[in-house]
Amino acid sequence: MLKAIKNWIEVRIGLDELVRDQLTEYRIPRNINLFYSLGTVAIAAFSIQVLTGIVLLVYYVPHPDHAFKSVQGIMMDVPYGWLFRQVHAVGSNLLVIVVALHMLSVFFMKSYAKPREMTWLVGFAMLLLTLTFCLSGYLLPWSQLSYWATTIVTNMPTAFPYIGDYLTEFQRGSSQVSGATLGRFFALHVMLLPALLVMLLGIHLFLIRRIGISRPPFGPGGQERVEWTQFHHESYPDGMPFYPHYIAKEVFMIMVYLSAMFFIIAFLPTLFSPADANIPADPFKTPAHIKPEWYFLAPYQMLRVIPSKFLGITLQMIAITVLFFWPFLDRKEERNILKRPVLLGGFIGALLVWIGLTIWGNF
Amino acid sequence: MGKFLRQSSVLFIVLVLAVPVLAGYRDIASNAIVNQAVVESEIENLCLTCHESAMMDEKRRKIPGEWRASWHFQNDVSCHNCHGGDPQDAALAMSPERGFVGVPKYQRVPAFCGTCHIGILKNYLASGHGRALMENGSGPNCVTCHGAHNIQKATIDIINENRCSQCHSYDRAKEMKHALSRTEQKIEDIEASITRLKAARVFTEEEDKEVFRTLAEFRTLFHVVDVSLVKDKTDDYLKRLGVIDKKLQGIFSELDSRRNFSVFLLLIFVGMAITGYLLSKTYS
Repeated sequence: MLKAIKNWIEVRIGLDELVRDQLTEYRIPRNINLFYSLGTVAIAAFSIQVLTGIVLLVYYVPHPDHAFKSVQGIMMDVPYGWLFRQVHAVGSNLLVIVVALHMLSVFFMKSYAKPREMTWLVGFAMLLLTLTFCLSGYLLPWSQLSYWATTIVTNMPTAFPYIGDYLTEFQRGSSQVSGATLGRFFALHVMLLPALLVMLLGIHLFLIRRIGISRPPFGPGGQERVEWTQFHHESYPDGMPFYPHYIAKEVFMIMVYLSAMFFIIAFLPTLFSPADANIPADPFKTPAHIKPEWYFLAPYQMLRVIPSKFLGITLQMIAITVLFFWPFLDRKEERNILKRPVLLGGFIGALLVWIGLTIWGNF
Repeated sequence: MGKFLRQSSVLFIVLVLAVPVLAGYRDIASNAIVNQAVVESEIENLCLTCHESAMMDEKRRKIPGEWRASWHFQNDVSCHNCHGGDPQDAALAMSPERGFVGVPKYQRVPAFCGTCHIGILKNYLASGHGRALMENGSGPNCVTCHGAHNIQKATIDIINENRCSQCHSYDRAKEMKHALSRTEQKIEDIEASITRLKAARVFTEEEDKEVFRTLAEFRTLFHVVDVSLVKDKTDDYLKRLGVIDKKLQGIFSELDSRRNFSVFLLLIFVGMAITGYLLSKTYS
């Protein structure tokens, strides 16, 4: 019976050839490392967010009068609602870590170099989308924390000349964070952003398979140069089979991700949930110490440190722009960052500044 | 094409850099972005401004500090909530037109506090304490036991030999304290449980309200200073508190089972991670 079904499919889509081309005979560089699996982990993490998000969507009510209570209902009354919400909430934080690590490893191994500039651009856009996902999702529980953290973040564009106030009001749908903001963020979070992310993810994966996976600059064969004057698929005939060799590594990494998630849920369930996250939003009562999510703490602290907020915002925009276009600005042939002390110093320095500002922003 | 993209990137960055120059000086030294919301919500309190200034004598200057250390402060009860007046209007801050009553006379203190503590006022006035105050102005008022500004959360330790024996023997008060202690202990236990649940991010609004209702009735009751009445009602209160406690214990056991289930899933994923690792080693 199974064989008959398989034959039926085989005749129609050539399943054997597909499996052969995409899995068993698909080869990847022998010196590939675990960091290359972070992209797959990010896809798995995003899929988990989608699945748990759908369950939460069944019970969540996007209205200021009901949002907080509906979330409490999910936590206390819906069977296993707590599990879905915890996986979604902890997962959103871990997803930011995974995507950021993926970007850092791509940067560190200069995998963005020609001909993969477009892959970098799409990947960077997905990082920004992930952060927008987190920002929009943060407001939905309508707690004191989510309300005031969103107030801070949506206030930031007021620093822009001429259009700043309009931008802030456009985000909020009103002069203050309100029910209109909740409606907008909800629509963004469950419709527009997922559609955009899936589209970009499709382009990202297409580019990876079309161009071929990049060779890490470290280990055997890492220093090989390929002259790229016309398009060709970069393949590795003597490389490691993708299936089952590399798939096993990817499964390992996904399980590490899930283990980290359930370690937090089991032993540190309040790690990403400060006390204000458990108090209903009150627009008339500002909490004593308000701050945004940990991944926005560095830009937040930067704005607090720089006396001119506009200058601070502009510097951040420049940093994002430079990073976005980095493949076109980095013209050196050398791919091994360890042999480029200036770039390595800048990379580590920027990372330390980011970590320092994040820690500082906590106080 | 690559050259074009490189040049375009540089041009874009130059344009972004040019924006601040074109924009000029807008918002320099402004705190508007981050703290705007906070500043907007802070209400200026002129009572504190004056009472903390050098124009006040030492006794009055101490009041803001005592109030900040009080249970009222923790529950957002401010100067004007008791004394009336307008803390935001310097001209009319102490005007009777704005309801300013200032410091009440000794005999008027129960009515002053009873504006909010209505049930307690009623029972206090029916008690020996209240009757003595109203009839000849000699009985204790609220301040005698609770203090004026540094009012702390009430406990049965307010009933003690030093305080009570200033006016009468401690015997009946001691008996009263003993009758109250079981209920008081239960309330303390439940409040500790609620604090633990809040730390675990459980929303306890319903339980908070139920405990508050019970506590308010309990406090109201013993202001009658009637030992036999307190003894009669103790079982009722313990029964009501028992229902709340049972519910809280149910939440605790739910949290325990959630953690156990999470640990179970954690072990499964750790096991699968180890299997994946060993498989990848076998293949390589």
